[in-house]
Amino acid sequence: MTEQYRSRFRTLTDGSDSPPGADHHIFIGPQHPWAEEPAHFIIHLKGERVVEADIRIGFNLRGIEKAMENRTWRQNTMLVPRACGICSAVHQNVYVRVVEKLAGVEDQISERARLIRMFSLEAERVHSHILWYGILAHDAGFDTMLHISWRDREIIMDIVEDFSGNRVNPALMLPGGVKRDIPKDKADKARPMLNKLIKQVEYHKKVFTEEASIRNRLENVGVLTKDDAKITTPNGPTGRGSGLPFDMRKSFPYELYDKIDWNLVCYNEGDILATTLVRIDETLESLQMCNQILDQLESTQGELLARVKPRVPEGSYMARGEAPRGEDIHYGIANGTDKPERYKIRAPSLGNIDATLKRMDGEYVADMPVILRSYDPCFSCTNRVMLINEVTGEKIIMNQDEFARKAIKAKRYNRPFF
Amino acid sequence: MSDALKELEEILNVTLPGNLVEEVVKVEEGHFNVFSNATNAFELMKILREDAGIYHLTTISGVEKDDEFNVCYHIQHRIEDEFREVPINFTVTKIDKNKPKTPSMIDFFVAADYYEREIYDFYGVYFENHPFLQRLILPERWPDDVKPMRKEYGWEQIKEITMKIAKEALEEAKE
Repeated sequence: MTEQYRSRFRTLTDGSDSPPGADHHIFIGPQHPWAEEPAHFIIHLKGERVVEADIRIGFNLRGIEKAMENRTWRQNTMLVPRACGICSAVHQNVYVRVVEKLAGVEDQISERARLIRMFSLEAERVHSHILWYGILAHDAGFDTMLHISWRDREIIMDIVEDFSGNRVNPALMLPGGVKRDIPKDKADKARPMLNKLIKQVEYHKKVFTEEASIRNRLENVGVLTKDDAKITTPNGPTGRGSGLPFDMRKSFPYELYDKIDWNLVCYNEGDILATTLVRIDETLESLQMCNQILDQLESTQGELLARVKPRVPEGSYMARGEAPRGEDIHYGIANGTDKPERYKIRAPSLGNIDATLKRMDGEYVADMPVILRSYDPCFSCTNRVMLINEVTGEKIIMNQDEFARKAIKAKRYNRPFF
Repeated sequence: MSDALKELEEILNVTLPGNLVEEVVKVEEGHFNVFSNATNAFELMKILREDAGIYHLTTISGVEKDDEFNVCYHIQHRIEDEFREVPINFTVTKIDKNKPKTPSMIDFFVAADYYEREIYDFYGVYFENHPFLQRLILPERWPDDVKPMRKEYGWEQIKEITMKIAKEALEEAKE
């Protein structure tokens, strides 16, 4: 198998391993206007066709796993969502499920707490998917769609902010339950907003399926067949676009996903349009799930927070969750103290890179941005394990205005921040 | 033969030879821990990959114990007709701490390539027959002999090394 496909994480910096037949090499990143994230892509071309594409990662290693071993389980609840900038709730959710299982309190979590967690997760999926297909349209040269979709994304952001106080890191969960309730008046306020967003997303779907200028850029581009997908092991929407019908919420249900009505979205075509439609359909599914959850919240009562002791008994547990980008896996080992012995996180983007680079074989160089965007790159979570750079160790507490003023001064006069 | 092993064999529809398996533990419904030592792990994984047809490797985690290293392969048995997955944590135990060495599973999973290199970076576990065992995630200037996830390196020490290589890089950039 390995002779047929090799993993694409094998590039040497001097270019001595370029494939035979390639006559041009394009280097993208780690700093590049196309990508907000640091990764180094090397595209080997013959004429206008891609022969092979490679990647180098490791520019944004933050050492979260090592940092977690030095903090208590309770402190880590606030560190773990920082593993990813945009899918923070799902990291926190998987983490609290690991802690609850290890502490043996997973039966004590009330239904109401689980429903609030699910609302947070689904709202995150909605805003992450809308953000992604907006950027995809931008990469395909269809900027109007970027503006339309991001305008509509504000609706769900407002709801998340109303419920949690934050826009992208709701941080609602704690081991044992949730921090905040969703009161009835806020839920009533959110319902018409959700219905408006459903209409807007249906319109987005119409644009992606009927508008010729964007459809031509996505249809039959970067096809990943099911057999290739089985070998390169993509997860999440990337896999579901290629006919692998696996969604953690169905295949290994957690929280209350088995008690709610929703459909698994799966397309068999394997091109970029299929992955896009998977995400748009999932957005619609998530929005109707949000509505269902709000309805169920009205009739469900229960304690929001169960007590979890700070010392977690010895043991190990692996939990997974369906992040917007795919399969998020955490593996925790406890040693009986209040700190973890070992904590491993793997975010979905790393598992999707091989499949995405496989898509590029034999495609036109002009389709490159769209294909590279297709797996929703997120390198903070790909290189999540890294070393935090503390300048002096000095600590200053300041409010947002002070911080902004100081930052502007430091920039203008080229002064150090501290 | 334990009940957990029998149940796992029924799900996978294969026989797992008793001399290759150290222990099978059922974590919860449809979720298993399988233990095997570094000598037998390759043979056992071959049965899981080729006879049972497990093709999805989610990730690999390295674990440091008091007197040995463990490497845990998180694989999923996928039943497509039922839209169901059976997660299996395949732990390779008894990897010697002085000369950490274990067989590479790259013959069975393409994705094992970069996950194994990540563990090589962080723990210094050597994967036999891996064709390209080189640095993946650590910075270029990181000293070769420092394996940051090992317990012997504390948080403060890692911070010091980071500061040192950052300073070196800055000075080089000034020149």
